[in-house]
Amino acid sequence: MAGRPRGGMRRPGSGAGGRHRVDFYTSLQAVVNGLLTGGLYALVGMGMALIFGVMRIVNFAHGAFMMLGMYAAYVLFLDGHLNPYVSFPIVALVMYAVGHVTYMGLLRPIHGQSDFMQILLTLGIGLALTDGIQLVFGADYHQINFPLLSKNIHLGTHITVNAPWVVSFGIALVVGAGLYFFVMRTMIGRAARAIAQNRNAAPLMGIHLHRVQAFWFGLGVAAAAVAGALLLPVFYLYPGVGDQFTLKAFVMVVLGGMESIVGAAMAGLLLGVVESLTSLYWGNEWALLVDFVIFILVLSLRPSGIFGRQKA
Amino acid sequence: MKHILARVLLPAVALSVVLAGCKSGGEQSNTFRIGVVTSLTGSAAAFGQAHKNGYTVAVEELNAKGGVLGKKIELVYYDDQSKPDQAVQGVTKLVDQDHVPIILGAYSSENTRAIVPVVTQKQVPLIIPTAVADNVVQTGSPWVFRICAGSGSFAASTLDFLKNNGDPRTMAIVYENTNFGQSNDKSMREEATAAGVKIVDEEAYQASSPDYKALLQRVKAKNPEVIYFASYLLDATTLMRQAAEVGLNPKYYTSAGTGFAAAEFPTKDKGAGAYAEYTFSVSQWLPTAKWKGSKEFDEAFTKLTGAHPAYHAMEAYAALLVAVAAIQKAGNAQPAGIRDALKAVDLPETPFGPIKFDEHGQNAHPLLITQILDGQYKVVWPKAAAEAEPVIPAPAWNKRKGL
Repeated sequence: MAGRPRGGMRRPGSGAGGRHRVDFYTSLQAVVNGLLTGGLYALVGMGMALIFGVMRIVNFAHGAFMMLGMYAAYVLFLDGHLNPYVSFPIVALVMYAVGHVTYMGLLRPIHGQSDFMQILLTLGIGLALTDGIQLVFGADYHQINFPLLSKNIHLGTHITVNAPWVVSFGIALVVGAGLYFFVMRTMIGRAARAIAQNRNAAPLMGIHLHRVQAFWFGLGVAAAAVAGALLLPVFYLYPGVGDQFTLKAFVMVVLGGMESIVGAAMAGLLLGVVESLTSLYWGNEWALLVDFVIFILVLSLRPSGIFGRQKA
Repeated sequence: MKHILARVLLPAVALSVVLAGCKSGGEQSNTFRIGVVTSLTGSAAAFGQAHKNGYTVAVEELNAKGGVLGKKIELVYYDDQSKPDQAVQGVTKLVDQDHVPIILGAYSSENTRAIVPVVTQKQVPLIIPTAVADNVVQTGSPWVFRICAGSGSFAASTLDFLKNNGDPRTMAIVYENTNFGQSNDKSMREEATAAGVKIVDEEAYQASSPDYKALLQRVKAKNPEVIYFASYLLDATTLMRQAAEVGLNPKYYTSAGTGFAAAEFPTKDKGAGAYAEYTFSVSQWLPTAKWKGSKEFDEAFTKLTGAHPAYHAMEAYAALLVAVAAIQKAGNAQPAGIRDALKAVDLPETPFGPIKFDEHGQNAHPLLITQILDGQYKVVWPKAAAEAEPVIPAPAWNKRKGL
């Protein structure tokens, strides 16, 4: 982020003394907005949960991959004139390949070594990607604009939703459901779950460890990248944009019970709603703090997660 | 392995240190170097580029007239990437390595506040072109000079306009949470309360959020007649779009310039487009200003860049003009001499209006109020300078055509 200081006391919310009296419909609107935002968070979290669940890799580069997906969508918009709601499958394919190659080239060689090595490696990958993009595109901020962005849909007289958010929620839902389907119903999904259960026994059962892991790493990265592409129209693009999402992804994975992708998805929705309601009742600045308060609370009181099983 | 590392690494490090030290020992050159710190990249890049273009016009003009002290002027830029720590690094590099006797910059209030102690410690005068937070001229440092009006003046001008155009009684302040926003919040809160306007809400926000809707709903719930924004360009764009989504309809959208006064703000591709319409802003300068040299600057700038300048570019231009006038008066390139010449500067007629620094280094720069009408900034206050009637109240979002 552009060097904003984090320290110092900031007064929350209104000058008239803290809490706002808000009516039911305003709260409902905040919940709706929170769910829509949460849909994107969920996709990022699912990707992280996939990677952690199958490979026990804490992917510190997750946000950076998401950022790459945003840049890919941006380039496709500028040169190919495709808006991200249409181009996201291309982004997914390209970023799947990037993830697959990253696993095969960088992560596989250190397989079996300490967690610390892994953490350093993914941290390094994240930094290299962020700085690399800055080299190519510069540190400037970019935004895209197309007609759909201005369309608002009115549900009754009290609730308004912005069309792009609805579309991205829909796409996130489909992609998320697709991921779940893959994990639960396909052979390769079974292989992933087998590795997650017992990574030493899995190869003995005929599972090709690295092939499966590369596939799932690629998929996890692709999920984050698609979330990025979907975020591009309603936000703006700069090399550091992914950092806040890496942190949020951690929170989601912990909340969701470490390996559960459904858990991470639910956690994403919850995070979106909590942030939105906190913003409404206490002010925008507290919304970011609340993520970490939840993180710390869950880690200390219920490390197995709110949604997950007793597996941490 | 260790052996090889030592053999290769140590000489490499030694070599690069030597090379870095051997950079041009500039004093023998026949140009006069002036240091500039600004945000050429990063979140404030649009404003940094405006600065650079303004400086470029100034340098060409001044060099055509012979430069300063018989030498051509050379600006040494340092890009702080919109980060305060980089701004500090920039000042250090410009003073210690490039040996500039004066520095212009930075862009943002946050970055400027960071460099004020550094120029004071290194004893080099600083001319501030655009940073608006009042704390940058309140440190007591004799080395700091600011040509633009500060947040206190922003608040006073806005309130003066409001009092004479409908006299609203309630206001909400929405501000980004770094030095710029905080300073404007403080100034407006103090001045408004003193003027009898009730502040019903104050909302700080982080400028990198994608979603301000909850914040805007909080403001809506308080039903203020006026909203006063202190925002940069990207957040201003997002805020106005989301204000429409949320159905927030105060009578007046006012602002502390900056994002709401950027050249890009009314554009569709890089700004809020139609959502910017009817917003008011304080303005330090407009191309239609009646000061001598304003029109010429506008023409030269448009010729250079293809677009009209916003006030940020003019501030850069004027800063260099003043710097050169002071250097010429001092007669030498000694920082202390230049500082004293700046203290004594009294230019009643520059393209940026009269420039004279008070004992805090502040210039009493008069402000204008503009409104965006048909995608253009029009001066609406004070009456003597106005080119259009203000449109009040701002039409409700659902009544606006073309959105």
